[in-house]
Amino acid sequence: MRIEDISKKSEILLKLKKEDFMPLPHPYEKGDLEPEIRDLTEEQLKKIEASLDGISGVGLKKPETKEEENELIRKFLSGLEKLLSPDDNWTFLMPFYHSLEYCVKCQLCSDYCPIYLSSGKKEIYRPTFRAEILRRITERYVKKKKRLTRLISVGDIELNWQTVARLAELAYRCTLCRRCAKVCPLGVDNGLITHEIRKLFSQEMGIAPRELHELGTIQQLKVGSSTGITSRALSNIIEFMEEDIEEKTGRKIKIPVDKEGAEILLLHNAGEFLSWPENTEAFAILFDIAGIDWTLSSELVGYDAVNYGVWYDDIQLARIATRHAEIAKKLKVKKISLGECGHAHKAMIVIADRILVGDLNIPRESAIPLLRELVLSGKLKLDPRRNNFPVTLHDPCNMVRLMGIVKPQREILRRICPDFREMEPHGVDNYCCGGGSGFAIMQSMNFPDWRNSISGRMKLKQILEVFSDVISPEVKKYVCAPCSNCKGQLRDLFNYFGVNKRCGIFYGGLAELIVNALADLKRPFIDWEWH
Amino acid sequence: METFLALLTYFAYFFIILLYTVKLIKYLRMPVHLRWELYPVIDEGEFEEEKNWIEKPRKKRYLKGFLFLLKDYFTLFDYAKNNFPYWLGIYPWHMGFILIIIFHILCFFGGLSIVKGIGVSYDSEAFIGRFLYLAILLTGVISFLAGIFGSVVVALNRILNRNLRDYASIQNFFTYFFTFVVFFTGFYSWFFTDPHFFEYREFWVGLLTGRFRDVSFWTKIHIIAFDFFLIYLPFTRSLHYITRFFAFFLIRWDDEPNIRGSKLEKRLTEVLKRRISWSAPHVQKGSSWSDVARFIP
Repeated sequence: MRIEDISKKSEILLKLKKEDFMPLPHPYEKGDLEPEIRDLTEEQLKKIEASLDGISGVGLKKPETKEEENELIRKFLSGLEKLLSPDDNWTFLMPFYHSLEYCVKCQLCSDYCPIYLSSGKKEIYRPTFRAEILRRITERYVKKKKRLTRLISVGDIELNWQTVARLAELAYRCTLCRRCAKVCPLGVDNGLITHEIRKLFSQEMGIAPRELHELGTIQQLKVGSSTGITSRALSNIIEFMEEDIEEKTGRKIKIPVDKEGAEILLLHNAGEFLSWPENTEAFAILFDIAGIDWTLSSELVGYDAVNYGVWYDDIQLARIATRHAEIAKKLKVKKISLGECGHAHKAMIVIADRILVGDLNIPRESAIPLLRELVLSGKLKLDPRRNNFPVTLHDPCNMVRLMGIVKPQREILRRICPDFREMEPHGVDNYCCGGGSGFAIMQSMNFPDWRNSISGRMKLKQILEVFSDVISPEVKKYVCAPCSNCKGQLRDLFNYFGVNKRCGIFYGGLAELIVNALADLKRPFIDWEWH
Repeated sequence: METFLALLTYFAYFFIILLYTVKLIKYLRMPVHLRWELYPVIDEGEFEEEKNWIEKPRKKRYLKGFLFLLKDYFTLFDYAKNNFPYWLGIYPWHMGFILIIIFHILCFFGGLSIVKGIGVSYDSEAFIGRFLYLAILLTGVISFLAGIFGSVVVALNRILNRNLRDYASIQNFFTYFFTFVVFFTGFYSWFFTDPHFFEYREFWVGLLTGRFRDVSFWTKIHIIAFDFFLIYLPFTRSLHYITRFFAFFLIRWDDEPNIRGSKLEKRLTEVLKRRISWSAPHVQKGSSWSDVARFIP
């Protein structure tokens, strides 16, 4: 496979076979417990572009006429020019320019990419592959270098519909975990190049996976949440949570909503309310015991911390972050605190930091250091023996490598989990869960198969390895993942490989473990029910 | 001939400084960007691990960051750790470059010492004369040897390793060949004609005083090769020597929070006024960033 093959008019560039993938440890070493990646149907293949690797994540429709094809190519080039413009792309121009100009193609990054390694080192997944395609297109079509100069300096490439279509898909074969960037001695960031390609497609061509755009950011801004939860539905959910808390713990808690002047506006990923209400309940229990002055918001967008814009579109990112800040301003809270959601942390605390100015510039921070304070301060009566089962910690990339929140969650787990064990590598060198950058919510066609087989493979390997001495399903084990998207991915990954049934491995958040360790609970808070 | 050689050398230095400056100015004039740091941020630490971090004093330790990067310049540690065979070529090659730059700086000072009446030789009466003699000799010889070895191994790595070969350009190989010529002619000239770098120092005296000196054939060839190499460098990715510092300080470690009323906030307020021309259906083409951010599609 060579760079210029991206323009080939073949049906498919790479046929994925599970025999090629990185081997997994026991009990998956033989490969017979692993499902095959499903092929797209004939009907789907007629309409949908999947000539990269037979997978469709973007759901890109094939153009019907030559004119339509040419128009897409023209728009692609116009978008590429805008990526290099200080007005259109002040947001990332410097890092983008640096990564485009100064890569020496030493390939040090390749062996740090979990997708490249998991796939069995398939060339199209190499971190430098898509970057090199974009670099060559830029040299030829934007900088308009002569053929001889191009051939000498970078190599050539043909920009046709195949190139554009495959590049659109290729931008969704990287989780933006930025492990590749961390190892680059020259500061080149191939993850960022992926991000910029996604942005070009979204901001100029209106092309993005439906789950991220229409059902994601657009729905969040219109309905209030990417989950589809409305304000009214939220009040029902909160009522349910209050009842559930009382039933589980005997505590009668009134969850504060829209409380003006509260110290903290707590933003949860709305996925928690729907799929893992025990996490939001755990926060409510802990904040109630500690006497924290906090509130949730029931305003449109205010009850969903997610900001999918961070993965593919700066404009949508800015809109959601602005909306969150406006709600906090209206409620006159002192600060915004982010619950267990990695990308929401990164989007609101770090990236949006340079979008929110003036009275929208409200202090924002992670809830994890606050949880650490509660655990270590003695405000909570804790009995670690209640968490007497093997626990490991999954580090969400956005929170750790991309934000530097490494120690607080570990200090908590060391205090409350006697059998806490670290995966290798961990901390800032962690591996992505495989659902990063929107993958966890991309559920259409055969993309989930690809995600579970390839992008989540390294994480599964790590989890199986860390529990290898207690791998029997009779021993209940807990993967603590303080991030909604990571939990969503672990749920899908474990279902795909039957991990819960075969190995007794569960997943959940951090706050639940803290509540589970409360000394005065009559029964365990963690019920080990698979969901 | 000596005039040509001197003028070419002046031009080569002037050219590389000019083009590098233009490129660096272009880099530094790019607008402030969104935060995109990667941890660990060596020159600071992880302040977001703290509750109420925004109220706490933060201190950047630029020297720590600078020393971290400098250490890596002289060890290329990441390569040694992660790809040793590659490091075996890339390390001597880069040491060749670093030392040849130091060699030329020392030659400049050597020439200056001679102009000021301080002899530069192993038996000079002045300590500085003896020091410069030895330093020029060591940096020159080690640079040439390391550079010759490095050029060959780097080229072989690029040819023999499929991962590297598929991404290599013709220019890569031309660069390896060119550096080989520069280092080899330097070595040849030192070994066969100028073992004390006497000619080279005299050449620099000529450059400093304007009374240009002639040198022997092989030294001449080396100087011409080196001058052309300086002229060639701005057309390669060689500026990564410097932009690497920018990439770390201005991107990877740039975690400066936007504090209300700060200079950064003023800069951000200005960039948010820029108008965008993106044309997807959900974008209000022609509006400013701040207006677009407040628009609900």
